[in-house]
Amino acid sequence: MNLQLFIPELTLAIFAIAVILLDLFVQRKGVLAGVSVAGLVISAGFTLTMWGSEPQTIFNNMLAVDSFALFFKLLFTGIAILVILASVDYASKLTNLQGEYYALVLLSVLGMMLMAAATELISIYVALGLTSLSLCALVGFLKDSKSSEAALKYFLLSAMVSAVLLFGMALVFGVTGETQLSKIAQVIQAMPLTNITDNPALVLGVVLLIVGFGFKIAAVPFHMWVPDVYEGAPTPITAYLSVGSKAAGFAVILRIFSSAFGLPEWLSLNWGMLFAVLAAISMTLGNVVALPQTNIKRMLGYSSIAQAGYLMVGLATVGILPTADVLGQSAILFFLASYTVTNLGAFIAIIAISNKTNSDLIQDFSGMIRRAPGLALALTLCLVSLIGMPPAAGFMAKFYIFSAGVHSGLLWLVIIAVLNSVISAYYYLRVVKVMWFGEPTSTEKVFSSGALRFSLFITSIGVLLLGILPGLVMKLTEAASKMLAFLP
Amino acid sequence: MATDYIYIALFLLAAILFVVTTLLIPVTLRFLKIIPHNPTPVKGSPFECGVETIGKTWVQFNLRYYLYALVFLIIDVLVVFLYPWAVNIRHLGLTGLIEMLILLTIVTVGYIYAWKKGALEWK
Amino acid sequence: MIASELIWLIFLLPVFSFIIVSLFIRPSVKPTSKIAGYITITAISASLVLSLWTLLTVMAEPKHELAVPDFSWLTVGDLTIRIGLMIDSLTAVMLVVVTVVSLMVQIYSQGYMHGDPGYHRYYAWMSLFTASMLGVIMANSLLLIFFFWELVGLCSYLLIGFWFHRPAAANAAKKAFVVTRLGDFGFLAAILLLYTNTGTFNIPELHEMAITGVLAGTTLTWAAIGIFAGAIGKSAQFPLHVWLPDAMEGPTPVSALIHAATMVAAGVFLVARTFPLFVNSATAVTIVAVIGAFTAIFAATMGLVMNDMKRVVAYSTISQLGYMMLGLGAAGLALRQEGHVTLELAKAAAAIGIFHLFNHAFFKALLFLGAGSVNHATNTFDMRQMGGLRKVMPWTYATFVIGALSLAGIWPLSGFWSKDEILAVTWDTQRVLFTLVMITVLMTAFYIFRVVFLTFSGQYRGSDPGSHGQEHDHTTHLHESSPVMVAPMVILAILAIISGFWNITGSFDAFMGHGETRSFASGLFGIFTHPLPWIALLVAGLGIFLAYAIYGAKWLSAERIGHIFRPLYIIFSRKYWFDELYENVIVKLILLKWVFAALEKIDTKVVDGAVNGLANTVRTIYRIALLNGIFDILQRVDGTKIEKANGVIKEPNKNWWQVDGIVNVMANGVTASGEALKKTQTGQLQLYGLVIGLGVVAIILVLYFAG
Repeated sequence: MNLQLFIPELTLAIFAIAVILLDLFVQRKGVLAGVSVAGLVISAGFTLTMWGSEPQTIFNNMLAVDSFALFFKLLFTGIAILVILASVDYASKLTNLQGEYYALVLLSVLGMMLMAAATELISIYVALGLTSLSLCALVGFLKDSKSSEAALKYFLLSAMVSAVLLFGMALVFGVTGETQLSKIAQVIQAMPLTNITDNPALVLGVVLLIVGFGFKIAAVPFHMWVPDVYEGAPTPITAYLSVGSKAAGFAVILRIFSSAFGLPEWLSLNWGMLFAVLAAISMTLGNVVALPQTNIKRMLGYSSIAQAGYLMVGLATVGILPTADVLGQSAILFFLASYTVTNLGAFIAIIAISNKTNSDLIQDFSGMIRRAPGLALALTLCLVSLIGMPPAAGFMAKFYIFSAGVHSGLLWLVIIAVLNSVISAYYYLRVVKVMWFGEPTSTEKVFSSGALRFSLFITSIGVLLLGILPGLVMKLTEAASKMLAFLP
Repeated sequence: MATDYIYIALFLLAAILFVVTTLLIPVTLRFLKIIPHNPTPVKGSPFECGVETIGKTWVQFNLRYYLYALVFLIIDVLVVFLYPWAVNIRHLGLTGLIEMLILLTIVTVGYIYAWKKGALEWK
Repeated sequence: MIASELIWLIFLLPVFSFIIVSLFIRPSVKPTSKIAGYITITAISASLVLSLWTLLTVMAEPKHELAVPDFSWLTVGDLTIRIGLMIDSLTAVMLVVVTVVSLMVQIYSQGYMHGDPGYHRYYAWMSLFTASMLGVIMANSLLLIFFFWELVGLCSYLLIGFWFHRPAAANAAKKAFVVTRLGDFGFLAAILLLYTNTGTFNIPELHEMAITGVLAGTTLTWAAIGIFAGAIGKSAQFPLHVWLPDAMEGPTPVSALIHAATMVAAGVFLVARTFPLFVNSATAVTIVAVIGAFTAIFAATMGLVMNDMKRVVAYSTISQLGYMMLGLGAAGLALRQEGHVTLELAKAAAAIGIFHLFNHAFFKALLFLGAGSVNHATNTFDMRQMGGLRKVMPWTYATFVIGALSLAGIWPLSGFWSKDEILAVTWDTQRVLFTLVMITVLMTAFYIFRVVFLTFSGQYRGSDPGSHGQEHDHTTHLHESSPVMVAPMVILAILAIISGFWNITGSFDAFMGHGETRSFASGLFGIFTHPLPWIALLVAGLGIFLAYAIYGAKWLSAERIGHIFRPLYIIFSRKYWFDELYENVIVKLILLKWVFAALEKIDTKVVDGAVNGLANTVRTIYRIALLNGIFDILQRVDGTKIEKANGVIKEPNKNWWQVDGIVNVMANGVTASGEALKKTQTGQLQLYGLVIGLGVVAIILVLYFAG
């Protein structure tokens, strides 16, 4: 076993412990954010050095170190760096729990990294647990009634769903006798087809797995926690949930379904269609319910449900046309990257604005272009990207994933998705309209800290870069998804 | 295949029957006038191991009890891992020793954390 | 010859001026400085020179095409997107149109926008607009066109809402954006459809496939219709015409450049650009012709009754765009009748519509600038407040009349030549549509001369020019506009006279693809050997005469006529209630809002209600099925105690066994959480869990029955 391959994760674990200890003995809490970011950067650096090498496994094939996992590790560390930068103002309001805050962010990143790397059901479950528990605590960090309520809801529903997930894993294990994804695939492929079609246990197991991860990615009908939790959680954590947790969910789904249930075609066709239907429901419900929202965090909560719907178009593509061509997988990864910068950017701008105005109501963003031109411009860019308009990243992402959908014959789904994009333009543009054409509620300028402005700058550049020069990232996503090609 | 499930069904049936029967016994006995129906306040009060209840049963405990209990539980359970390791210490060798040291380090950090945060003080 | 780098520069120069103005000038220079305008004008002048050079080079080429090397922008698997330019005769003509009108409008704006607090912002957006419009024209792939297409729409949105503190402007901007996007989705769908069927976005390749029949049948028809949907949105054709009149809330130079001469013509350009895709589908060309003809007459009827000078010109724009579409559609039909379709013939067929676009750009920009000039003096666009301006504003008057004559189609001005071609080709193919547009000719002449007479003849009717402040707040007295505004109008007036001469010899057709040439004199006068020009001129003359009779000489009373045709007047002036229809049904989404409200209720209340309903049912079953004794025992098992108060045994609290309580079991585990629990106990959390559970059951059932 080569422990070197585990260094990014070890680094994070050590830094998380170090942050907790440091918090006990250091008076200037600003150091903690610096140390956390340093840990993430070092971990990302180690990850980068592994890029391009041959795929390997560690811990008796429990964790894979391949370009797919590395891509997600980089994505997660990037997300966490931005979230921590965006939290600096926020966390300084918490007097005595700052160390825990940063440590929990690091631990949840660790959990997500393991989720992306795990190739075995039990380790997937453990990684998921680590992530969920850390996130639950982070959601309840504000300790006001809304935040506590959100944390409690998130915790209870996570617990329930993880039981469902475990049941699904148990069923899959019961049928195949294996927990290793590649071995599960071998067993399933060796079975006669009638054994699979007649045996409800395997299909039920697969369905329960979809339910378990559907909760994580906020797919309808497992979405109901989203608006409450997004509204109640501290805004940086909402941002983190909306991109990190979702990306981790998609990473696991892609890994499990591509490597364990890719063949026979009967099976992949079935889960592909299931994802297609869930995609259609998710984006429609998310967009429609987002329309009447007045709280911008709640609105973005529903919007994230809709975005999960667009992403699932990619999953459906993967299931329905299982070829060595990894268009669908690569499109999902690209969409995730673009959604990450876009949504983080939107949330960071909201954090900066509502830090000052102490309100998340859309009407209080009125005339923001005159009070904070930079913030309003960046928020507009991100909303434009969420609609999917050029030259922002969202356009390329949607274009990529929709063309993958059309490629595999899912024209009906793509039409639904395009119609949904039209609906979504209405509520995103409403915010833009309020910011640009509304009367400012006060003449006071909105200033924000350097860390916030820096992270907002990074995300805005990211949004434009992915929109204008998508080729750079597409090369990465293609390389990363090569691992997931169905091999007969 | 289906015959395997019959045992489960039988088991389920037996379980349901047991519960329902136990619940129905006093009802039936009362219905047959074998036990008298004569409620008194004493009979109606909750049964606490034969000891008479003092005050309300739903008193609130100090939150610190939970804190102590939690810290104790975590450290206790983790330390239990030492036993199987100690039994196999020869077999596990140096790797095992290092691994156990890592575990103990983490536990110690937790202990220091609880200590510094004042979880062990009764204020 | 022109180097390909210089061709790129045509597009890049306005981009540079946009970057310089928005990033460096705007934050640092006071809005009273005119520096931003000078930078923009310099950049666009250079673009104009390069465009003319390009035009001459393309003319000199035997195939009227320039090969510009392209480069690969992104490669993903089998998807390769290349960026490149397509420089043919169509592009060259459009380049000149856009740069000329843009230059004139920028010069004019130096006077018009002077002193506006958003002066730099104005020039920044105008530069960006010009750049993206040039991008639409020069791009060689549909994807790239779509990119610039959206960017052009964004600029239009920003410039319509330029005075965003005015609610009307802000709403008009949003309306324009939303309505045009409806069409854009058709365009996008067409692009995706074409790509999935051919694997390319490249326009020349698509042309080749459409002409050779590789791309045919329903795919081709749907793709053409999708592209046309985009064109309908941008060119404000029926039924997506509603945004253009409202777009007049923007500054008048913006209306002249974007909403008359260039951007709205982008729809026509797009159809012309992809015309080889249209000609092989009878359905598509018929739709283009019918929508065009219908829009032409439909918009003209509304133009008859507007009192706002700028809106009359706006409806006239919609109507003229309809003419162009009709020209394209009818030419396509004519080509199909001849039976033999080649790439050259298809491109040449588009020449009719494009020639009208070319002429229209100049005279319509002129009319808008004239309207702006009048507004500059009177501070209103309401023609009831005008009159007698001929003496005060001789230059504006003279140039406006030239524009009006050209629009009405009077020989030998430019409008006559291109309109005559459209009428001729329509006569050859579709007599019903021909009748419609002939009526439109009458209306066109009438409404534009109604504007001329109401504005410039008679007595001045406005009371106090300062108090009706439309675009400028400073009080003024009536005066001719400054030379910086008059000069562009004079240049455009000259172009409005002579631009039509290009095709008198047939050389425009020849340049666009295919056509016979003749001598100038035989073209200029020989046209009257056909009866059609006589009829057209007669009809237009009748329209002008009617306008003179009612508004100039006042032989007929406008009120009387209005009274006689009252129903029609109401229909026209209320714009066929399209605004109300869209406003109430679609834009305000009243219908949909109802659905949203219902869905939100379902999301919270109805499911909640279902839970309670379930609870009641279960409770009833309990009551019927179980004995009282079991209740007693169950209560004790549960630990619910009978409270003793004053020695009286109270009834036990029976609520615990309601289903609400049973699903609360989860919540009971965390009783300590105080405030949070109050909220979670309302049933919400259980509901969430329940929905997850129901979702699982539903999925399993669906799989069981369907799979």
